[in-house]
Amino acid sequence: MDTSGKEKEAMQLMAEADKKVKSSGSFLGGMFGGSHHKVEDACEMYARAANMFKMAKNWTAAGNAFCQGARLHMQLQNKLDSATSFVDAGNAYKKADPQEAINCINAAIDIYTDMGRFTIAAKHHITIAEVYESELVDIEKAIAHYEQAADYYKGEESNSSANKCLLKVGHYSAQLEQYPKAIEIYEQVATNTMDNPLLKYNAKEYFFKASLCHFIVDELNAKVLLSLLMYEEMFPAFADSRECKLLKKLLDAHEEQNCEAFTEAVKEFDSISRLDQWLTTMLLRIKKTIQGDAGDLK
Amino acid sequence: MAKNMGRELRNTDFGMNDHFLTEINEWRKKRYPIMKEKRCLKQRVSMVMDKLYINGQLYQDSRMAYPRTHNPFADDDDEEEQRWSSGGFDDPPERGMSEAERKQRCLQQEVMRTAKSAVVSSHRSLGLIYESEKIGAETAEELMRQGEALKRTERMVDNMGQDLKTSQKHINSIKSVWGGLVTYFKAKPETTKSLPEEPVVYQASSKLQNAMSHSKEHEGKYQASHPNLRKLDIGGFDAFASDDSSSSQNGYPANRQLRAAHQTLDNNLDEMSLGLGRLKNLGLGLQSEIENQDTSLDNLLGKVDKLDLKINNTNQQIKNLK
Repeated sequence: MDTSGKEKEAMQLMAEADKKVKSSGSFLGGMFGGSHHKVEDACEMYARAANMFKMAKNWTAAGNAFCQGARLHMQLQNKLDSATSFVDAGNAYKKADPQEAINCINAAIDIYTDMGRFTIAAKHHITIAEVYESELVDIEKAIAHYEQAADYYKGEESNSSANKCLLKVGHYSAQLEQYPKAIEIYEQVATNTMDNPLLKYNAKEYFFKASLCHFIVDELNAKVLLSLLMYEEMFPAFADSRECKLLKKLLDAHEEQNCEAFTEAVKEFDSISRLDQWLTTMLLRIKKTIQGDAGDLK
Repeated sequence: MAKNMGRELRNTDFGMNDHFLTEINEWRKKRYPIMKEKRCLKQRVSMVMDKLYINGQLYQDSRMAYPRTHNPFADDDDEEEQRWSSGGFDDPPERGMSEAERKQRCLQQEVMRTAKSAVVSSHRSLGLIYESEKIGAETAEELMRQGEALKRTERMVDNMGQDLKTSQKHINSIKSVWGGLVTYFKAKPETTKSLPEEPVVYQASSKLQNAMSHSKEHEGKYQASHPNLRKLDIGGFDAFASDDSSSSQNGYPANRQLRAAHQTLDNNLDEMSLGLGRLKNLGLGLQSEIENQDTSLDNLLGKVDKLDLKINNTNQQIKNLK
């Protein structure tokens, strides 16, 4: 009962705001100050109406109201207000219509980059990328947005945030089999983090992922071995880690075309620390190359 | 046979029983509890006339029977052997094993079991250590990001302070002509350079490095104590193992298996100690980073409060100007 009442109120406000906008448009000439007031009032009414729609859980209507308010703000050259309204619209649409949400947030990003607020723009790129990841499942576009976000963060010297985005880019590129890109990203992130005393604990993880990608790209073990040695030299702690030992075992198994030794090594590693989805996919791909080379013996 | 039709009477209120002689009935009555007990132990029990068969072997009267029942025990799980309390039982000549040897064998099996469970639990703890390391590393990354965000916020607050100063000057000049002249002659405000990111990060890392060097010293002390402990363990077990090899043939495989189990246990313990060392360093690093961020948060709080007051002032002034 309460929500339907709110909705009606919201509809009324929208209608009123529409009227104000139209009326202000028709009053040209001496009513400049007045028309500004009216448009500002209309903006405020749109915002209130949108909030009421949110209370009533009518997300599309709320998003719509926020969008209209944002456009009015643009007219008044209130870029900041306009951008915030677009962001609110995007959040409201997220629950109902992901595509519309992306459109709104894109508009907000344009305004922010125009004003030079790259950090916030980067944050919103991440939001869009997450929507592509989860609801629209368009990995290519998600990668593009993560990359854009990483570039902006780098520009603003927020290296940790940039690394976070880069890792996601690497993750998805490897899944989409864009291995050279993934290798480059993981190596870059690993070399950046290995000197930092707080972040170096994860550096070995990144080296491991880079080596796995090397492995898939190039079954002739020469390159993989070389890269492994290079990483060990750069980062001695990597040499002691269980990941490095696993890689060496996998290399041996691959040379001997021994599927069982491969599975055995993987199982041993898994018994102590679980392999996640990405790692399992990569290892399966490597295993397939072994089986392919062995001429489908097993 | 008519007796086999007794099965048909199942789930009815009727039953069918043999009619035995009274002595045999008495005997059977006495044996029923024993039969039930053995059935509970999941042994094959059958009562034929006046004879009770357990696992295919004739069950003698209770006083003489315990040594016999050890044979089914010997076939069963090791847990059954624990029931075998040492005491004045006659040894049946059947298996050719003396009581001491059997005790030894059962103790050996105990040792193997405990060794295996120790290996399994060390595996589990190793897994847990790696998991906590991973979580710690991810926390560290989050903390770094937070630290950077804090620095950015501080920079922006400083910028806001500068902007407010300029706006204050403008307001002064608007308020009065005299104020305007004063501001004109005052030196132009210096724009503070934005604090570079690198030096602050390095300060954090030097503290961390101090902590790390301290912890490495301690690590050395710990490692000195560990090998001693380990030698005791191996020494104790090896003595036992050598006894085994001298006494019975069964001792040899147990010895090898034991050694393998101990080997894995030692390896796992080594890895665990390394992992724990890393975890400790990680924890110390996290702690110092959090302390730094705490102080900068406090600073930020103070700055933002001052800024808030200034903004209110400016707003008031502008309203009065109207």
